[in-house]
Amino acid sequence: MIGTPKKRLGIAMLFLLPNLIGFLMFTLGPVLFSIGMSFTDWALTKHNPYSDESIRFVGIQNYERLLVGDESHLFWDYFWNTVILMIGIPIGIAGSLGLAIMLHAKAGPAKPSGRLKGALIAVVVGAIACGAVWLVMSPHAAEAGVKSTEIGLADMDQQKVDALRASFAVLITAVLTGVVAIGLAVGQVFFRTIFYLPTLLAGVAMFLLWKALYRPQGGMINAVLQPFLDRLEGIVFATPMMLWYVLGIAIVILGLAYFGLSMARGVRNLSSGDAGPAMFGARVILTILLVVTLVGSGFVATQLPLIGLFPTEKPAPYSQSRAQSVLEELPDQFPALGDRAHVDSALIAYLAPRLDEQALRTLLEDASQLHDGTVPEETREAWMSLGSGVMSEIIVLFDKAVSDEERAEALDRLKIDPLVRPALQELDGASLREAAARRVLVWVDVEPLAAALQTLVPEADAKELNARLLDNAIYRRGLSAGDGLNAPAWLIDAAWAKTALIVMGVWLGVGGGNMLLYLAGLSNIAPELYEAAAIDGASGWQRFIHVTWPQLAPTTFFIVIMSTIGGLQGGFEQALVMTEGKADTIVLTYYLYNLAFTDEFQLGLASAVAWIMFAIIFAMTAFNFRYGSRMTND
Amino acid sequence: MTKPASIQPVAGAPFTPGRKPKKAAPDTSPIEASSKLSRTLVFVGLVLLGMTFVVPFVWQVLIALTENPSEVDTLTRTGMPPAIEPGNFAKVFQRVDFAKYFFNSLFIASWATILQVITCSMAAYAFSRIQWPGRDKVFLLYLGTLMVPGVVLMVPNFAIVLGLGMFNDYTGLIIPAAFSAYGTFLLRQFMLTIPSSLDEAASIDGAGHWRIFSQIILPLARPGLIVLAIFAFLFNYNSFFWPLILTKDDNLRTLPLGLLQFDSTYGPETNLIMAASLMAMLPPIILFIVLQKYLVKGIQLGAVKG
Amino acid sequence: MAHVSIKSVAKVYEGKVRAVDDVNVEIADGEFVVLVGPSGCGKSTTLRMVAGLEAITEGTIHIGDRLVNDVHPKDRDIAMVFQNYALYPHMTVRKNMGFGLALRKMPKQEIDQRVEEAARQLGITDMLERKPKQLSGGQRQRVALGRAIVREPSVFLFDEPLSNLDAKLRVTTRTELKKLHQRLKTTTIYVTHDQEEAMTLGDRIVVMSAGRGVGKVEQVDTPLNVYRHPKNRFVAGFLGLPPMNIVDGKLAESDNGLWFDDEQGLRVRMEDRYRDQLISRVGGPVAIGFRPSAMSEWGEGTYLPPDGVQNANRITVVPRVIEPLGDSIDVSCECGSAKNIVARLAARADFPTNQEVHLSLDMAHVHLFAPGEFGENLIH
Ligand SMILES: Nc1ncnc2c1ncn2[C@@H]1O[C@H](COP(=O)(O)OP(=O)(O)O)[C@@H](O)[C@H]1O
Ligand SMILES: [Mg+2]
Repeated sequence: MIGTPKKRLGIAMLFLLPNLIGFLMFTLGPVLFSIGMSFTDWALTKHNPYSDESIRFVGIQNYERLLVGDESHLFWDYFWNTVILMIGIPIGIAGSLGLAIMLHAKAGPAKPSGRLKGALIAVVVGAIACGAVWLVMSPHAAEAGVKSTEIGLADMDQQKVDALRASFAVLITAVLTGVVAIGLAVGQVFFRTIFYLPTLLAGVAMFLLWKALYRPQGGMINAVLQPFLDRLEGIVFATPMMLWYVLGIAIVILGLAYFGLSMARGVRNLSSGDAGPAMFGARVILTILLVVTLVGSGFVATQLPLIGLFPTEKPAPYSQSRAQSVLEELPDQFPALGDRAHVDSALIAYLAPRLDEQALRTLLEDASQLHDGTVPEETREAWMSLGSGVMSEIIVLFDKAVSDEERAEALDRLKIDPLVRPALQELDGASLREAAARRVLVWVDVEPLAAALQTLVPEADAKELNARLLDNAIYRRGLSAGDGLNAPAWLIDAAWAKTALIVMGVWLGVGGGNMLLYLAGLSNIAPELYEAAAIDGASGWQRFIHVTWPQLAPTTFFIVIMSTIGGLQGGFEQALVMTEGKADTIVLTYYLYNLAFTDEFQLGLASAVAWIMFAIIFAMTAFNFRYGSRMTND
Repeated sequence: MTKPASIQPVAGAPFTPGRKPKKAAPDTSPIEASSKLSRTLVFVGLVLLGMTFVVPFVWQVLIALTENPSEVDTLTRTGMPPAIEPGNFAKVFQRVDFAKYFFNSLFIASWATILQVITCSMAAYAFSRIQWPGRDKVFLLYLGTLMVPGVVLMVPNFAIVLGLGMFNDYTGLIIPAAFSAYGTFLLRQFMLTIPSSLDEAASIDGAGHWRIFSQIILPLARPGLIVLAIFAFLFNYNSFFWPLILTKDDNLRTLPLGLLQFDSTYGPETNLIMAASLMAMLPPIILFIVLQKYLVKGIQLGAVKG
Repeated sequence: MAHVSIKSVAKVYEGKVRAVDDVNVEIADGEFVVLVGPSGCGKSTTLRMVAGLEAITEGTIHIGDRLVNDVHPKDRDIAMVFQNYALYPHMTVRKNMGFGLALRKMPKQEIDQRVEEAARQLGITDMLERKPKQLSGGQRQRVALGRAIVREPSVFLFDEPLSNLDAKLRVTTRTELKKLHQRLKTTTIYVTHDQEEAMTLGDRIVVMSAGRGVGKVEQVDTPLNVYRHPKNRFVAGFLGLPPMNIVDGKLAESDNGLWFDDEQGLRVRMEDRYRDQLISRVGGPVAIGFRPSAMSEWGEGTYLPPDGVQNANRITVVPRVIEPLGDSIDVSCECGSAKNIVARLAARADFPTNQEVHLSLDMAHVHLFAPGEFGENLIH
């Protein structure tokens, strides 16, 4: 090395300094700062330039509050949410490995010339297929002017509907052709690019796309799923519920039995010296993971009937005539409904055909009392629960909010449907109960309601209304579910929201960095190993178990560590964008955000959350290193 | 995976002159040469999987082209919007200041990227090419902070930015992102692969440190710089948490925030939301297409995004 | 042009690893000196200290009359060719060669002229616009050489410049290097681990070893002197192919003479002229060394040495393996305690194996070493 150490230090500092200053200020400094913060009661609402209260050192009080004290129920609730969402990680890793293996395997024509030829053939065949699809599906079935009878398409020409369907089929055929042709011409790189796309685009835009995909109605996923469920319906309903319980319990027993067997075998290997303690530890972990998955899925199977995938009773079909008659009677029977009757009427008209006489009468009485202003507390609450917690939030806010601006802001924060906004904004505290009632509108099933609205609310553009309602529609089971098996209300229903996020997470991440790492790992395996294994007579699966998997162990090790670290910290954006924290999707980071950056700005408490997370991450990483790296060496 | 049966020609081939192994392609050994069937199956599998990644985007485009939000329902039932409406993209710009969001995101991400690449490459040079007392200890500090989860930094950084008066300002979004321990680490690893004899040769040729850095190391570390630039750009372009807590003015909103706001205001108008999100996805896609080669290499170097 | 003097130089890496110690070499102006030794013995370290790439821990280095210990490499007026050539991959050959000149603010015209002249000499004119990646190993080597030449330095430094070439190219390039040196007459320090390269290229060679836990210079002399009169057992064993046969034994006195005796059948009577030198070692351990070419066949049934050999010993060996080399054969044999003695003999098709054969040992080429890996040569 040239120059004296001192001189070199000087030069090095010139190069390093810009980065070092930032590093100290925004990385190392904050880390140390944050430890300190976590032992104080610092909250921006209490400690700011306008207050003379000073920040107090509170020792481990923050940690106490979180782990065992008054915040502990939230903390642990969100902790388990985070852990449950991390189920997606092993699934994603397995998927990444699968994709990598497929991308690494030889696929398509062997010769380069065959690739181009194949692509050309694919284009030609695809073009012909598009034509054929169009011919088969194009609108010759119906005559012009005949209206469609399908739900939701009632005002369209059948011919138009057929044409749309046909063009969609052609479009999908064309896309498929494109994928095949480019895949043939370009090879695996093309697929790798496609798989990587979601990772590249991960962000709010992507989450919005998935939010749209997940919409219970009008979302692509349910649009694809529902027809299958409709077909399955018969089978499922023919199955005695008992069978599901039995099936679920059987899986649970199977899982437990496997646990016993595997442990016994592990102990045997350990005592006979076939495997070291590290191997045994690995076995315990893997078995527990597998068994938890098994037992979990068995449990879900027993719960299926309970969580309402299968409606236990079918609501009465909507009858327009009955709705009409109820509505005609309304003003006479309940004069208190007054001017605004038409809106509440719509609700009642919707509910009427579905409820028995007694229930309907109670409902109507309640409704009219709402307008009387004499509504008893319980009734109000009943309405409220029907209208979900959002309404209570509105009330609380409106009780506080005085000026118009404040109200507008409150509505902003609540993300109130623009349709309802003008009405809400005009309301004074007293008319809130009405609003509560009206709000119910958007929580019930939309389709028949929209139809009813069309007849009942001439001044509103029913179609527009329908569209907006669609987005807010919650499937309140029993109130709203249609006949038969229903696809889940993914992001809205707490029973499904986590599943939805997991599925999305896997889709987003499966083709990302992990897959590329596995690809690199695969291409680093010496082909001689496979040749030797093949000569030794190993089958494809055995070669995977004895060559690929162990050779990839360091890669897997790295991926598992990085993914768990990422997983424990992740989930915030998804929850904020897609569920706004509803449906039990709040994770630790979200909690930290809530603590630190909303309401009270409790920076001290939030820092404690961060450090507890760090402790967990550190423990997991250390554990991984201790056992994982030994596994890699075994 | 091939079937073990296909290995048989291996044993026979070298010792039976005159009889060639039948199907094996000249450049692949018989066990490697998968059967036609497995090649086809793998390809079909790839196509099917590929479709599950493509179709959501197709759907997104279709919605973005739907004229009226109420027709989205028709779309899900028939697969096609009743009428194609390219005007939605323009509508997004009319409804909210989408151009401003775009500008903010690109502006912040570009500056953060440029500064990060500069500071990290210089620091990486100091760590990889100069021997100075205490170097390894300082580097260990850098490495150590890589293990600290990002959430730990959020709260104190918020306080620091607040204290420096950079809250609700471009600088608050750019300056903290201009340094990166991770980027330094990545570039250092990259620079270590450049043989030291090159700077020695340059040194004998008469180059000083700055010249070695700018004329030898930087050009050779270009793939690494590009990888870091891509990561930094994507990270800051998609960054959500940071702008969320550090801005409050509408005209400072970045795309992710703007999109979220747009969604909460116009949520029911799915067609507009999809048009907006589609546009927000364009820059990363363009970046990727142009720089794919480097990105894949970079990730395989062990540089995992995050 | 300049002479280089390296005085008592030592290098300690990072305060711990002592890489070389007490290196003393005087290199005359225009001389071609080769540092040779097994890998890890500190050849590169020494060379890099001359270049200024490593700080000198102890001792001094002068280039010309200037003390260069604290002089920056660029100011030492040297040029260096690296083992991996260290061509800047992102520059064309022309740029690569002219880089150093450009940094010295030489007018572009002159740079071009010099580069083209060097390229012409080295036969790489066609490649000037290519990048290093587009060149073969030999071509890259020439570019690296060209880069050094255009600078017209007073000292050339080479660190194993040929070891990345294939065997044939290595030999031809070696010759060209020699020619180049004869033409330019630039002082040259050349590092290699290849003894053949050292012997053929060097005006003088510096044999180094790492055997004593630190890099050390064992001998500095002309190639022939080093070959004929190795200073110690290490140098003797290091130079020559097949290597010198060295057998451990004792020095004994009998029949009025001094004998090497391994007590298992190999007895060699030392020449009387060394008696005074050796007498003090009688009864102590010594090792005998003789090159394969020091042996020849002893005529069947006679007790006379072959023609032209003044003073010979007859030794008895059992040939085990014959390796024909054309004009000669290498015979591996057992001899006394030694299981593998190699003798290079005149070719003979029917050379017997697995039976006793007598060979004559030319005493003019026999060495006697003090015990130990670095035992000094007692008689030369
Ligand atoms: N940068 C270094 N740091 C520490 N030890 C080194 C360094 N470079 C070389 N060495 C040690 O110095 C000794 C000599 O190395 P070197 O000069 O490269 O040997 P040669 O070129 O003869 O093969 C070796 O033992 C080597 O391990
Ligand atoms: Mg060397």
